[in-house]
Amino acid sequence: MMNWYKFLLFYLWIAPHLLLVVVALLLLKRRLYTNFPVFTLYAWYEIAEFVLLLTTALITGLNRAGLYGRVFVVTLAISTALRFGVLQEIFNNVFREHGQIDALARVVLRWTTGFLLAVAVLCAIFASGQTSDGLVAAVAWVGRGVAIIQCGLVLFLFLFSRLFGLSLQSYVFGIALGFGILSSVELANSAMHIGTLTESMTRALNLLPTGGYHVAVLLWLGYLVAPARQILRPSDVPVGDVNQWNRELERFLQ
Amino acid sequence: MSAALVYVGIAVVLAALFAYLAARQSRDSLAIDKARSLMDSLDIEAFRNLVDPEEEAFLRSSLPAAQFRTVKRERAWAALAYVRALSHVALQFSRFGHALRHSPDPRLAELGRQIASGAVHLRFVALEASGRLLMAAAFPDLPQRCPHSLFDQYTRSTGLLLRYGTLERARKQPS
Repeated sequence: MMNWYKFLLFYLWIAPHLLLVVVALLLLKRRLYTNFPVFTLYAWYEIAEFVLLLTTALITGLNRAGLYGRVFVVTLAISTALRFGVLQEIFNNVFREHGQIDALARVVLRWTTGFLLAVAVLCAIFASGQTSDGLVAAVAWVGRGVAIIQCGLVLFLFLFSRLFGLSLQSYVFGIALGFGILSSVELANSAMHIGTLTESMTRALNLLPTGGYHVAVLLWLGYLVAPARQILRPSDVPVGDVNQWNRELERFLQ
Repeated sequence: MSAALVYVGIAVVLAALFAYLAARQSRDSLAIDKARSLMDSLDIEAFRNLVDPEEEAFLRSSLPAAQFRTVKRERAWAALAYVRALSHVALQFSRFGHALRHSPDPRLAELGRQIASGAVHLRFVALEASGRLLMAAAFPDLPQRCPHSLFDQYTRSTGLLLRYGTLERARKQPS
């Protein structure tokens, strides 16, 4: 049982980063780094972070109170900042071609971010729990706030772009979707980490963020590999509604 | 633990919502014929008449106040139905334009960019007009402004679509 757990733990830690190398290479090969420099930087940064953490773990062990813990927190902070950068980059890419919508999106985005920040702060104030492990709980406490903001921003992006009929390009949608899934998994994970946990629960929860990360990387890869939509299929759609409106209007005007 | 469970519940709902949006994105059909059929069904002149300020002034002067308010409300609701249809047409235009941008033919790709951009603007002005018409229905005594930008943008968008038809016909004709 323990061997399976260790295998799964290491698989979920290593495999997404190997797939991320493929994502990073595809970004370079398709010259997508010109449109998405921050996402490209994020992908390479995550790979470098993984190499650094793995090396540290092999040398000093997975001791959260020791060097590994300090490296983990510092690299996580940079990674979180980069994720906000990627979300900003997606917004810029989606709305920049549409002047009026771009201006509106910027204003609404500012208000949405402010609102989400207020929600995250209020959640932190009113829902602080007992801590089992100082460092883990502190990271989870901040992580929960960050996850709330990132989830909200991705949701806002999807809803706002749908409202104006902006079709997101395949890979743009994939990047945003990956971050959405990743943020929602991290929201669940960080919420569970605030509070006293049994050893078995801690072990199970250790698999959650890496599992979510694995799904996100698979989504990025899938949407990068998938061809862009080119379906222009005619369809016979009944236009009864509009005809009915016309008839009603004619009746009204008589 | 109960607070944690609430967060987990929210996270699960969000993840499901993202998955649903992804599934919907892949299912969205790009039906230009649907947009064309809707366009053909719209009587733009009748719509223009409904939101014409001169018509409104005439009705205001010739009808008793209470009857004018009733008629103005009904006109606003009827116009709102047109705006909704236009908004839906804009959505189809936008999807079509975005798909056309991937065309290997640079002329079609550029036209796709213009159609998508125009459609997004049409949707924007349609939403703006919806808000104004709702206000007109709620407060019929307020003077109404004609949504000129909506008609202008609609004319531009239909013009682009006609250009697409011409280009497509030219491409299909044997040289």
